[in-house]
Amino acid sequence: MTAVPIPLSDLRRRQPRFTGISPGHRACQGCGELLAARLVTEAAGPDVVVANATGCLEVTTTNWPDSAWRVPWIHSLFENTAAVASGIEAALKAQSRSSKVLAFAGDGGTFDIGFQALSGMIERGHNVLYVCYDNEAYMNTGVQRSGSTPVGAATTTSPAGKERLGKRHLKKDILSIIAAHYMPYAATATVAYPADLRHKVRRAIEVEGPTFLLVHSPCPQGWGHDGSRTVEVARLGVQSGLVPLIELERGAVTGVMPIREPRPVADYLKAQARFRHLFADSAEAARELQHLQALAEHNIERYGLSAPGPEAHDSEGADTVRRGGNQWA
Amino acid sequence: MSNKPRITPGGVAQAGAAMAYHTGSWRTQRPTHVHAIAPCHHACPAGEDPQAYLALLDEDRPREAWEALVAANPLPGVTGRVCPHFCESACNRSELDEAVAIHSVERFLGDEALAQGWAYPVDPPAADAPIVAAVGAGPAGLSFAYHALQLGWRARLFDALPEAGGVCRSAIPTYRLPRTVLDGEVERLLSLPGLEFQPHMRFGLDFDLQDLLQDHAGVFLGLGTQRPHPWDIGGAIPADLHNGLDLLKEWLDHGSIPSYRRVAVVGGGNTSVDLARVLKRAGAEHVYLVTHAALPNQGESPGDEMPALAREVAQALEEGVEILTHKGVHRLLLQGERVVGVEITHMKKLPDASGHAVRTAFEGTETVLPVDAVIPAVGEVIDPTGLEALLNGAPYLKTDQDGFAGHALVYAGGDMNGRSGTVTEAIGDGRRAAMALHARVRDVEAYAPLSPIAGWEQINPAYYEPSPRIQETVLPVAKRTGCAEIEPGPSAHQAHREAGRCLSCGMCLACDNCFTLCPDQAVLKSPENLEDGSRYVFDYDYCKGCGLCARECPCGFIQMIDEY
Amino acid sequence: MPLALEGSQAIARAVALCRPQVVSAYPITPQTHIVENIAKLVADGALDCEYVSVESEHSAASTALGAAAAGARAYTATASQGMLYMSEVLFDISGLRVPLVLTCANRALSGPLSIWNDQSDSMAVRDAGWIQLYCTSNQEAIDTHIQAFRIAQETTLPVMVCVDGFTLTHTMEPLELPAQETVDAFLPAHRFARMLDPQAPLTIGTMVGPEAYSEVRHDHHHALLAAADNILRANADWAAASGRDWGGLLRASGPADARIGILGLGSLIGTLEDAAEQHPELPPTRIIALRAFRPFPFEALQAICADLDELVVVERAISPGAGAIVAAEVRAALSELPRAPRVHAVAAGLGGRDIGIGLYPNLLEVAQNEKIERFRIIDLDPQRLPEELSA
Ligand SMILES: Cc1cc2nc3c(=O)[nH]c(=O)nc-3n(C[C@H](O)[C@H](O)[C@H](O)COP(=O)(O)OP(=O)(O)OC[C@H]3O[C@@H](n4cnc5c(N)ncnc54)[C@H](O)[C@@H]3O)c2cc1C
Ligand SMILES: Cc1ncc(C[n+]2csc(CCOP(=O)(O)OP(=O)(O)O)c2C)c(N)n1
Ligand code: SF4
Ligand code: SF4
Ligand code: SF4
Ligand SMILES: [Mg+2]
Repeated sequence: MTAVPIPLSDLRRRQPRFTGISPGHRACQGCGELLAARLVTEAAGPDVVVANATGCLEVTTTNWPDSAWRVPWIHSLFENTAAVASGIEAALKAQSRSSKVLAFAGDGGTFDIGFQALSGMIERGHNVLYVCYDNEAYMNTGVQRSGSTPVGAATTTSPAGKERLGKRHLKKDILSIIAAHYMPYAATATVAYPADLRHKVRRAIEVEGPTFLLVHSPCPQGWGHDGSRTVEVARLGVQSGLVPLIELERGAVTGVMPIREPRPVADYLKAQARFRHLFADSAEAARELQHLQALAEHNIERYGLSAPGPEAHDSEGADTVRRGGNQWA
Repeated sequence: MSNKPRITPGGVAQAGAAMAYHTGSWRTQRPTHVHAIAPCHHACPAGEDPQAYLALLDEDRPREAWEALVAANPLPGVTGRVCPHFCESACNRSELDEAVAIHSVERFLGDEALAQGWAYPVDPPAADAPIVAAVGAGPAGLSFAYHALQLGWRARLFDALPEAGGVCRSAIPTYRLPRTVLDGEVERLLSLPGLEFQPHMRFGLDFDLQDLLQDHAGVFLGLGTQRPHPWDIGGAIPADLHNGLDLLKEWLDHGSIPSYRRVAVVGGGNTSVDLARVLKRAGAEHVYLVTHAALPNQGESPGDEMPALAREVAQALEEGVEILTHKGVHRLLLQGERVVGVEITHMKKLPDASGHAVRTAFEGTETVLPVDAVIPAVGEVIDPTGLEALLNGAPYLKTDQDGFAGHALVYAGGDMNGRSGTVTEAIGDGRRAAMALHARVRDVEAYAPLSPIAGWEQINPAYYEPSPRIQETVLPVAKRTGCAEIEPGPSAHQAHREAGRCLSCGMCLACDNCFTLCPDQAVLKSPENLEDGSRYVFDYDYCKGCGLCARECPCGFIQMIDEY
Repeated sequence: MPLALEGSQAIARAVALCRPQVVSAYPITPQTHIVENIAKLVADGALDCEYVSVESEHSAASTALGAAAAGARAYTATASQGMLYMSEVLFDISGLRVPLVLTCANRALSGPLSIWNDQSDSMAVRDAGWIQLYCTSNQEAIDTHIQAFRIAQETTLPVMVCVDGFTLTHTMEPLELPAQETVDAFLPAHRFARMLDPQAPLTIGTMVGPEAYSEVRHDHHHALLAAADNILRANADWAAASGRDWGGLLRASGPADARIGILGLGSLIGTLEDAAEQHPELPPTRIIALRAFRPFPFEALQAICADLDELVVVERAISPGAGAIVAAEVRAALSELPRAPRVHAVAAGLGGRDIGIGLYPNLLEVAQNEKIERFRIIDLDPQRLPEELSA
């Protein structure tokens, strides 16, 4: 076994990156949401205040007397995170404090029940980065469908059965809705491309005003894949075109992660039990599968995701590795 | 007093208090660092670990890279040029795009060491250290002596010829192995303290095995195969018969050979190809290479390919050598004693009744090829003088994997064992024999077999950007005339870039993926390298065993093992 | 020098004197004039604060919560439906032990729709864990708001100041506004020890399991009970500073030998006091203004009622199916006395029905009834009832 010259607890104290979340949290093995939150807090740094909606992120990190948060953090309710964040921001302004306010919520807390508060927060121009951890269902309450659940996905309230192929409605295009607020900056990101995610967090924090980040975060529990495959599944989502990585400024597309060679949507879907029924031997299943393929192609056309040629920031070049870790960072 | 935490107004909790909760207890599998053997390393007969030195060069530590390289192979300038690079055939990168041009980096490091005058990282043995003998200062013998020194022995090296180098000096043409490189590496090796070179000493004539065993703690034989394979066509032998090896040596020693207008070389191995190319350089209009096999990589069955190196064959074709594949010489056409042509037929190796592949000529395919000379280059065999007892009538000196010849402390390797046929294999034989002898005499553990192998399935290709292999420059055919080297070799920039193409199979490349992607921050980073060669360590207090790090480790350095 | 001010305007100016740093609000009648006046003060530069015009009461309370948690002096106001809409957040604010002040411009609840005054809204959230103070007049409203900010920050509990909609909020009268220096001297700069601060990061709002939830509730309950002292001290200190004493937890008027008491909350107290003056022929009455409904002033109530034979509680809300709300609690508190008065419960003035001088003799009649009045709406118009109920 590895000999480490100093005790691990000391080594941990000397890590080169500040992370807003400590280990000891109770999230499932391989949880994409916790990974996403870790990456976001890492990019955001210590000078932040977090308001967090009810959901897996909150219940897995704050089991009194424990807290996995290393940054000031408040949980109020499910639907009011944007409003709580607005209040914090107003207070900081009133006190001439400069910390950045982060609002964290799941897709349920963003697309559905918390949408009004979010819209209000953006309209009022609060200097808040709102991050939605999108695991495409209400996970904390046991995998019920949300406005973010993709069409065809089985959840406990959109189960697959003889008469139904999972959810019958499309995933809400939240980003366009957010962007329609004449939003300074709104972007999508995923745990599969940490460098891209970091860049977007930093960009969003720089903006003085409301910004929005939608982070695609696989949920092993709810999506039915092994915890070890969280990043892989997220990557396939992007490479298939189903999860476009884009940046919008004042509603205009200002950045996309191009896809060099789109992977069939089936590669992404097959990796997850929530889409298993789409591979049944029936005309309906085949049609729904094609539907999802068409949605991916539509994304590719709509956002111009096709890469003209390989480039460093496309879906295959974006997180290629280097011997970078020899640097202490 | 109870130490239960007391509630605080509103249930406030302290930052990071969750650290008190050890999620490691959830784990059923644990990630571990496993330095699996890179396929290139596994494939290298000399025992080089290209992954290791490519990594060092990628980190811009060229000297350490070279030191890692010469830990196994003392002649990288030579092998970087002449080795068929077994490593590259095994390279995982070929699944992604093209294999890493390992030999280019090897050659670059070899040349850089000569240019910079770097010394081998070998401590001189004690003045009274026991001494071992190596007979034959070809690659095998040189390697044995070098590794014996590394292991703390002194070494005495004998050769019948005045200079060391073996076939590299006597037969491999300088246009692909310049003398400066061979001399530089051989001299650097011979001048190592503790090594004694005795030229002009012919085994079997000037001394024998008994003498050696008397004076030495162990003996290694690396005599190569010096005798041309006997050759005739239905009993006929041309009067002015030259054999290929002699002609090559002549050209190497004097820079000239008899000139022919049209000449047929019979063979298919390295000697035949080198000879054909030398003949072309010497001015022959037509050089035919008659081989019963197919071109490399185009065989129809196992054993149906020219044993010569593919790259050499390709260059020979470029240079105008006409290779007549699946052909055999059926008859010599003589005018008096003088050869005026050969009759050749179509020929293939086909299984006979007992299933053995035998050369079969096809009647009715005879063609006459007018030539003014035919030169056999059909291989070489051992000169048995002084080896009779060991050979016991066999054409080669049989040994086990370590080179043990089954007699006292006698080891052997290189061409003479009938298995090896390249410089690199000879170097590996010498190395393994030295280690085996050392292990046996010192009663220490022999080196462990290389396992497990980091195969392609261990690699996560998502993390590697396609990147084309360097295109080696070769002199245009018109300029390939004299003895000058035809491949200038890679630039420093190219070598560094090529090193960066290495996937680092089986060994941490410090990409930070595990450190970045663990949802539980159970991977910690250390400012210095740790014992396992990486800078990362698992904190099993918190690792939940999800396996994400193992899957996203690009190079297979992390393996999950069951907890119970 | 008294100023002629509308109640809402007076409250707005009192709040402004307390230097709130964040005000968040969503309009609802009859609270509107308060928040409009604050907005105008901000617009005119008379008040330096972050005024957040949120998109709902849920967000109004949430924004105030966030602001208070971040260490700012925070304020919001609402009424009726707004109170119910933010009720989820109200429970959360107090449970998280975050101090702030909210004005409830008391109004009836839908449906059917009514914009007029009663106290159904604040009574509906009496269990939200807040301090609730009821004002009998606009002058008391001014003074109570100033005290409320101090009580909130001392107790780290939220304070709801209840002011009857229209009756107080929309009434113009001469009022004393204290000087800024007086308020500043009374109200120290805001400080919240558990505030969200990157320099000292705390986690507010954890999940508490069954092993400690009861203890959290116990702690919260006792914090409210203990807040009685803070209310008393704030009242006394403010009385010393302003010369106006509102009695702390409750206030009684009337002759010392009265054997009948009438207890109420809010503006009806003034009407009853006027009526008592106008009816010297009626039996002497002790009129009790319950100022603090939460914390419930058990001891003070027992002390003030110990020598009474009859007590009539006038409710401004109803708990359908049970009836009395305040009286139920009063009965429980007085039952501990060795010789408790009989407690009668009536409701009056629901949904804005006018409470006039005429109510007073009716209440005394109730007190003198042979039977204890368990509960009844006293000012019903039988002609408007369905026939089967009008008998
Ligand atoms: C023309 C030609 C081209 C080749 N090209 C390549 C190539 O491109 N790449 C490659 O990897 N391999 C090539 N080879 C093969 C390679 O050269 C041999 O496999 C390698 O040199 C074997 O090394 P060795 O030490 O076993 O024998 P050798 O190189 O043959 O060395 C044996 C030494 O022993 C000495 N010796 C022999 N008999 C006695 C004695 N009785 N007493 C004392 N000393 C004695 C000899 O003088 C010689 O120095 C080529 C071979 C030939 C002939
Ligand atoms: C007002 C309200 N309604 C319902 C709930 C129950 N609830 C808690 S978390 C949750 C789902 C959270 O889903 P999401 O926001 O997607 O977060 P996730 O758990 O998936 O990360 C629900 C429905 C609640 N806490 N509050
Ligand atoms: S249920 Fe899903 S989102 Fe929730 S902790 Fe588990 S993996 Fe994470
Ligand atoms: S990713 Fe983290 S928790 Fe998962 S196996 Fe690796 S070290 Fe353990
Ligand atoms: S993931 Fe990267 S840093 Fe971690 S062990 Fe593998 S190669 Fe090394
Ligand atoms: Mg969700």
